[in-house]
Amino acid sequence: MSNSLTQAVFSAPPAAAIAPAGSAAGMLLARGLAFRFAGQTTDLFRIEHLQLAAGMRLGIRGASGAGKTTLLHCLGGIAPASAGSICWGEVDLCALTPAQLTRWRQRALGLVFQDFHLIDGLSALDNVLLPASFSAWQASTPQRQHAAALLDRVGIRTPTRRAGLLSRGERQRVAVARALLFSPPVLLADEPTASLDPDNRERIGQLLCDLAREQGATLIVVSHEEHLLARMDQVLELHTGTLEASRPDAPQAR
Amino acid sequence: MFNPFPVVLADYRRNRLLVCVTLALIALAVAIGVAVIAQERALRQGSARAADDFDLLVGAPGSPTQLVLTSVYLKLQSIPLVSGEVLARASTARGVRYAAPIAFGDSWQGYPVVGTIAGFASRGGQLPPAQGRLFARRGEAVIGARVPLALGAQIHPEHGMHRIDDEDEHHEHALTYTVVGRLPERHNVWDSAILVPVEDVWAVHELPAGHAAGDTHIGPPWDATRLPGMPAIAVKPDSVAAAYGLRGALRTNESMALFPAEVLNELYSTLGNVRDVMSVLAVASQVLVVVAVLMALLVGFLARARQFAVLRAIGAGSRYVFCVIWLEAGLLIAGGAAAGLVLGYGASWLLSAWLAPRMGFAMPVTLGTEELRLAAALAIAGLAIATLPGWLCLRRPIADGLRA
Repeated sequence: MSNSLTQAVFSAPPAAAIAPAGSAAGMLLARGLAFRFAGQTTDLFRIEHLQLAAGMRLGIRGASGAGKTTLLHCLGGIAPASAGSICWGEVDLCALTPAQLTRWRQRALGLVFQDFHLIDGLSALDNVLLPASFSAWQASTPQRQHAAALLDRVGIRTPTRRAGLLSRGERQRVAVARALLFSPPVLLADEPTASLDPDNRERIGQLLCDLAREQGATLIVVSHEEHLLARMDQVLELHTGTLEASRPDAPQAR
Repeated sequence: MFNPFPVVLADYRRNRLLVCVTLALIALAVAIGVAVIAQERALRQGSARAADDFDLLVGAPGSPTQLVLTSVYLKLQSIPLVSGEVLARASTARGVRYAAPIAFGDSWQGYPVVGTIAGFASRGGQLPPAQGRLFARRGEAVIGARVPLALGAQIHPEHGMHRIDDEDEHHEHALTYTVVGRLPERHNVWDSAILVPVEDVWAVHELPAGHAAGDTHIGPPWDATRLPGMPAIAVKPDSVAAAYGLRGALRTNESMALFPAEVLNELYSTLGNVRDVMSVLAVASQVLVVVAVLMALLVGFLARARQFAVLRAIGAGSRYVFCVIWLEAGLLIAGGAAAGLVLGYGASWLLSAWLAPRMGFAMPVTLGTEELRLAAALAIAGLAIATLPGWLCLRRPIADGLRA
């Protein structure tokens, strides 16, 4: 419900290639997806078929160096795939021009990084509003209200505080709020809890899942932390270049 | 439409020290160049303006520079005297508006007392007194704008230029001048001169006073047989043509005639060479500073490649990221150049204020096209070079930047 409301308020410009944010736009279908680093003779990974219903939560685990982050970058339109197609709803990322892809990332994709990557010199609120400045001189009043509401939702009570002065847990919460400014149908998180203390790991994991559910967004999390993966609907393992169903056992205790 | 300024300002805030040092370095480099050029021009214009009152100077053969310095700038030195016959000849020559003897050697409390004629005091009528009137008989004086005397005051001149505070010490001449007029400000050393009839100066030094005994009128016509020598004669010609004619006619074995402007030109060409060397040095230092600053900025941008990759990953367009980087570097350079312009102007102004009393003339400091060009060239070059880090950043794949 909040989805259709924010969508109407923000009135995404009618870019033909970009479907409006909504549950249908969060449906993933990747086919023949392969990635190969320049100069290498073998693919880093090759995924024949990956389908995900909108609003699903997918966890991806794998040994370090297996290509988890690169896979996430491909799915988020950050790194170009060497072959195959990636469709989010009606949008085929591989068919977009660079400008269209940039716009899709701004409007339809929420990104959460391991190391937050906030602009330290900006306040928490301005960090959340930053993506709005990529396409407008000033954030609109509804955007400001939405950003303030998001900060409130993630539990930041000092929205005017400089990001550089916040604790690590607080910074990651601001980063989550930033990822959700445009209520994107797709939320990608790369080791979102790896550099936090146990309390904050719990909190961020909970927050990501709850917010994804509230917004109706499809969530894909790359992580090696079982407690986070345990919150997912489905967990796949990237192993020797292919995605396999993950062993259901959870060897590490929480 | 997008707004890169939040990120630019945030980066400035985070690197406050670097921003300040960068601005200061660029501003100083520009200021030095601007000050050198502006000061040289101020000196040139100020000195030329001071020489405006002296179209043609006549003196005894000797050093032209010394004659100019002594009479135009009242840097009093003992120079050879030109004979009175020359004055008599110049006064009656065709095309002469006035030929004024300039006789000095006396002073009052450090203010030079200069003997001349009323025609020179008013610059041939161009410079009527601001207060009172010109001297009309012996024993009267007209003072420059900066001489601290009231009309009607009486003064005793002393010989030489030393100040005597104790009135009872009788090194002074037994002659009293009454101040009858004050000249408007000329912004040069003549503002502190006390002008008196030349006849009084001669008489007080027991020289013939230029006129037959009992003749009380002052100024021309002179009695050629009763004219003593004098340090300089200021001649005002009627026209440019007359000026050249007079200069030729007054260049004889016993006198030299010169245009002070010409002598100054020679000085300027020497000064100009110094200026050229200095401005080359200033420009070279500017270039070095800017190169060093840009290298530092470039290293900083490379170190922050990740930040820019993140911006692009979360939906910033390439134009947005390019603008952020270009503005961060460009604003510092342009801002530094603008600050340098102001700083250089201020430095030049202070220098002129400090130099003016020592040089004997005011130096009008202005910002000319040359300085503006210098600062603008630097700003434009900086803005052009600042495209480099932006371009480098955009060439790199986003994923590479995120991994950095």
